[in-house]
Amino acid sequence: MKAKFRYLGLVALAVAVALTLGASAALANPYAKYKGKTLVVSWPSNSHFKKAKQLVAEFTRETGIKVEIDYSQYLKMRNRQILEMSKRDGDFDVVAWVVMWKGEYVAKGLLTPLSQFFTSPAFVDPNYDIDDIADAYIQNGGIVGGKKGYLPGKSGALYGLPFGAETSILAYRKDVFQKLGLAVPKTYADVRKAAKTIKEKTGMGGLTMRGKTGHQVTAAWLFHAAPMGARVFDDKWQPVFNSPAGVKTAEFLRETVKYGPRGIPSYSYGEASKAFLHGDAAMYIDSLKIAARARDPKQSKVVGKVGYALHPTDVQCGSETGGFAMGIPANSKNKEAAFLFIQWMTSKKADRRIVELGGDPIRISTLTDPVFSKKFPEYPVIAEQLKCADPDWRPLIPEWNELNIKVLGIALHEVLTSDKPIKPLLDKAAVKARAVMKREGYYRWQSK
Amino acid sequence: MSDPAPVIAARTPKWIVGYLFVAPAVLLMGAGLIYPVVQGLLLSMQDWAIGTPMSTAEFIGAENFLRMLGDENVQESMWVTFKFGFFTITIEMTLGIALALLLEKPIRGASIFRTIFIMPLMISPVVVGLVWRYLYDARAGWINHYLELAGFEPLIWLGEPHLAFFAIVFTDIWQWTPFVFIIVIAGLQALPSEVLEASRIDGANTWQQIFLVKLPMIRSILIIALLLRLIDVFKGLEVMLIMTEGGPGLATELLSLHVYKTAFDAQQLGYAAAISVLLLLIVFALSLAILLISNPMKTRADV
Repeated sequence: MKAKFRYLGLVALAVAVALTLGASAALANPYAKYKGKTLVVSWPSNSHFKKAKQLVAEFTRETGIKVEIDYSQYLKMRNRQILEMSKRDGDFDVVAWVVMWKGEYVAKGLLTPLSQFFTSPAFVDPNYDIDDIADAYIQNGGIVGGKKGYLPGKSGALYGLPFGAETSILAYRKDVFQKLGLAVPKTYADVRKAAKTIKEKTGMGGLTMRGKTGHQVTAAWLFHAAPMGARVFDDKWQPVFNSPAGVKTAEFLRETVKYGPRGIPSYSYGEASKAFLHGDAAMYIDSLKIAARARDPKQSKVVGKVGYALHPTDVQCGSETGGFAMGIPANSKNKEAAFLFIQWMTSKKADRRIVELGGDPIRISTLTDPVFSKKFPEYPVIAEQLKCADPDWRPLIPEWNELNIKVLGIALHEVLTSDKPIKPLLDKAAVKARAVMKREGYYRWQSK
Repeated sequence: MSDPAPVIAARTPKWIVGYLFVAPAVLLMGAGLIYPVVQGLLLSMQDWAIGTPMSTAEFIGAENFLRMLGDENVQESMWVTFKFGFFTITIEMTLGIALALLLEKPIRGASIFRTIFIMPLMISPVVVGLVWRYLYDARAGWINHYLELAGFEPLIWLGEPHLAFFAIVFTDIWQWTPFVFIIVIAGLQALPSEVLEASRIDGANTWQQIFLVKLPMIRSILIIALLLRLIDVFKGLEVMLIMTEGGPGLATELLSLHVYKTAFDAQQLGYAAAISVLLLLIVFALSLAILLISNPMKTRADV
């Protein structure tokens, strides 16, 4: 304590000097205090974040805070981030995570709660308007600790803000549907019928889909499970993906392979979307990112031929919520500047800029802006879709990765590549899933 | 003590000098080889997840090993590894030796052929994985394109268990036959010409020369090639990781890939270490068996 008092005089002097020298600037500009600092940001090297690089340059120009971006392939990013964040002195000040990882990061104590900044008027931009950010995105990417640990709820807290977030929509070939006199599918029954008709009449694949072993085929099942009313776990963490709805979803996957483009069991996200972009499939139900790619003549052979509609419904409406959110590692030394950076990047102004640069917006005001809607026909669809986007379409628990890749991802692939009855395959996987959950202590509070 | 050097030389037994000379090498080996193995063994008896401090890892004794014994996936990928090893090594050794025998003679353009043959070896495994993944691509791959042109039904190479297994075996053969080839051809060219001449004078035909003279004479080299290939089979994972990620199902999940997935996807470092210990034991046992049957160092010593 004494040592601190000794420095007090010095600090007071410094403050006085600072006040007289730069008072006006410091008061007018909340960024001034951090001018010249360098933030290190860990970002995935996907198209949205690559395009955001220009926006980062604009941030630096406006605020004087320098930013160094560390890009890595998104599947490799987790190990890299965990390693940095668990060191005593990590290198990252901002990390963008795939929404799946948020629970694990928080469980391991690696992130800073954003409430400590949102409580301070010195940090919060009065025009930020957090309610304008799509609710599904905030819940899915940023809130940890509520219901089930990953959904909103009274025990939950905000750890990140969405950036590069996404939902799923239906993309379809307008020309093909018109030629065959097919209506745009509204339900899964429509999708089935359209896929069969298209395959039989034109030889073209009906619906494209991911199907590779592991998290790809599981992702496909999840996309269709939400509208079909299937879940991975019930409220007591018992696996229920082998329920009648789960089996029905798996049947749909098998049928999609039959009427789809060639090779679905080997498709990861890239191959699945390329089948649509190269004109080998007439329908696509997956991330909204397809729209930007379908417009790009370098990637797409179907420019101008693609229409967008809501993710089809079955027993309910439900689209995916995924993509990325940004937050601050617990061991960052520039937390305040990091918060200002994240806030700036997700502000209304930046959200519009990122659209101009070719990225994906997170704000309803951007999605419903008539200027953008004219240019991007999928925007009104997305704004509508987000109302029923399902933050619980997959369990965002730390164990999910293991279940996803080593349990469900293997069983579901067998569904695609064999004629075996589906129920026993999923039952067997459920036994394995239950063993994993038991090992991790999910049933400790339950009698038996 | 004023004049130590001659005293030591006189009093120390001769055998110590030998040990002193190998000591630096032994120490280095100890630091570089034994330490990681011991650490791996220790880790295999703990329950540790990435991102949590090592001090929070729980010591769980043999639990990981017990779990491993009952783990179907480990058994499955062990079986896949043995199958993979059997097919690739048999074919690579046969092809490599055959090619070396063919190109051993100074025929026109031999050096060009040799260079072409060893090219796959120079490509990084990651690139090999990517190249073949696109060649095998079901919708836009070259292989299917030419199959269709030739009037055959295109196949989903990486999406069906048997085809995917065939695909990784074929890729491995494509990449590693040159390795056997290059080692064998070096051995063949070092053979003394007198012996071959003598056998020819004694009336041996080409086949007899190959099977009774050449191959037996390069036996130790063949054993070393076999050993290195064997170790590589148990180590290799990059190509499969990129081509199939171990799929379809577990059809191409070699044991080392299984370890990788357990460590980095499931994040169970302790359990992954336990499986690596098993891997180590298998490779150790196989190498020992081969060396017991025929030890290249021993034959050298006999010469």
